[in-house]
Amino acid sequence: MTTSFKINLRRGMAVTGKWKRNRYQVERLLGEGANGKVYLVQRDRSWYAMKVGADAVDLQSEINVLQALAKQEKPGGRSRQDTLPGGANGEPFLIDVDDLYGPDGREYSFYIMRYVRGVTLSEYLSQNGKEWFPLVGLNLLNKLAALHSKGWVFGDLKVENVLVADYGYVELVDYGGATAAGRGIRQFTEIYDRGYWNAGSRSADAKYDLFSFGVLCLQLLEPKRLQQLTTGLPQNRSIEELLQLSKENETLKPVSEWLHRALTGDFWDAAEGAEAWRLLMHRRQLRRRSDTPGWLKGLAAVSAVLLGVSVYWLLRGGL
Amino acid sequence: MKQILLITDGCSNVGVSPVVAAAHAKAEGIAVNIVGVLDYGDVGELGAAEIEEIARAGGGLSRLVNTRQLSQTVQMITRKTAMQSIQLAVQKELKNVLGNGSIEALPPDKRSEVVRVIDELGETTKLQVALLIDASASMKPKLRAVEEAIHDLMLSLQARQGGSEIAVFHFPSSKYGDDCMMDLDWTDNLSGVSSLFPKLQMNGTTPTGPAIMHVIDFYRRGDYGRKSRDETDGMMSDYVV
Ligand SMILES: Nc1ncnc2c1ncn2[C@@H]1O[C@H](COP(=O)(O)OP(=O)(O)O)[C@@H](O)[C@H]1O
Ligand SMILES: [Mg+2]
Repeated sequence: MTTSFKINLRRGMAVTGKWKRNRYQVERLLGEGANGKVYLVQRDRSWYAMKVGADAVDLQSEINVLQALAKQEKPGGRSRQDTLPGGANGEPFLIDVDDLYGPDGREYSFYIMRYVRGVTLSEYLSQNGKEWFPLVGLNLLNKLAALHSKGWVFGDLKVENVLVADYGYVELVDYGGATAAGRGIRQFTEIYDRGYWNAGSRSADAKYDLFSFGVLCLQLLEPKRLQQLTTGLPQNRSIEELLQLSKENETLKPVSEWLHRALTGDFWDAAEGAEAWRLLMHRRQLRRRSDTPGWLKGLAAVSAVLLGVSVYWLLRGGL
Repeated sequence: MKQILLITDGCSNVGVSPVVAAAHAKAEGIAVNIVGVLDYGDVGELGAAEIEEIARAGGGLSRLVNTRQLSQTVQMITRKTAMQSIQLAVQKELKNVLGNGSIEALPPDKRSEVVRVIDELGETTKLQVALLIDASASMKPKLRAVEEAIHDLMLSLQARQGGSEIAVFHFPSSKYGDDCMMDLDWTDNLSGVSSLFPKLQMNGTTPTGPAIMHVIDFYRRGDYGRKSRDETDGMMSDYVV
């Protein structure tokens, strides 16, 4: 099989595309997964991310998804910052597709995408604090909503495939699992999979991503206990177990009702989920504003009494 | 697309060589995948070599895993081999059309077209997977994981747009003299099936080769059965035992 994927590009190496002859200079490895390695590269003084595929056909299949998405992008059609795939300033996500000759003399196919200067979700929260969680969650839901509105499901949503840049700006990477709605999910990771938790099919629908989003929340805030759940008997795995975790976590408790809806497929798609999430955030802020200043509560009580008294006098006077 | 997925933990020790049997399967248009389960004790060097060779002879893939990885591996290997079968077929077509066999050698835009077709066919072509489970004594503690993997595979197959069916066999059969026994005939649904291997009597032999031959025969008979059903007078029914 493709276990012989050993390409290793070093810093300073120049890579020239076999077909289009674009030249890229390798800076460093950004990350790797089951399908390939991603390098930070430079061309004409701009930074890009280069994904080198372990298998040319698999990588092409992923590129096809990115190209299909790019075609669906209506120029100037959207006003929200979460247009996808692409940057805040409208630059495309997929930039170049070509083959290269590796140091071992073999050919590898690669694609060039926008470099996301960010860290994984879990790193972001540990560096910047859990108070960013509601916002980052919302941004991620908006990203998913943009995909869903185009008839696609992300599929392999997990910590490693979400990068977060400054101020909680979220970008999805790795479209290897992205699947047209109605088809079988192309690639998934067990613990984020709806089928694994005996909670539904592996057909691509928007609810599939929302389920994974729910597990992702637990993975971010209760990773150890989530891991423990996976060691039990498969027939016992259930949504109830997941929800129990969320209720016992300080950060997740306020969204546990939302998580219940996400895990049970109650939201139609990520847009509906995002809307509910947003409302929840605002309601929480309102509630917090009303409970913090104790003296205000006292004042309110006093004014209620005063009001009662004045109404009494008014009524009395009127009689 | 037809596949045999063999789940085993060791070497065959009776009857025709499983490598020969797998080559037979390939000749019949059936790809043979094989997953070696390691957990307790190990397959040993000989076992590992045999596993790899069976897959090579059968035109499929092999993996050595522990029971915790079994479900994930079974669904992944089935999918990969299905895509590979499509890829080979498309490649053959390409050879006729372009005089060029390799998809990798195509320029990016042509490759994109070809891969689109492969993905489309991979999703919509009918797929049959006959699971062949080694139920010799050493496999006993792993059978629960095997059952889980079968249910998990069904879930993945049900999500495909093309029809998908599985059948389940184990070997050796507890009946004396039989190499292999069917536990479940072709089905696209496991929802009423609670236990696939109830009360297996395990004995010592591991007739992997003969069991593969048995399943090839089952495939063949199924094809005859289907043909004879299509024909009005059932001429072929004599062949269907
Ligand atoms: N555009 C990008 N910018 C920055 N880092 C990236 C980018 N794309 C991928 N990465 C990093 O590389 C890792 C592996 O890439 P990914 O596409 O997920 O590979 P795989 O499909 O093999 O899982 C990611 O987890 C991420 O850390
Ligand atoms: Mg990845």
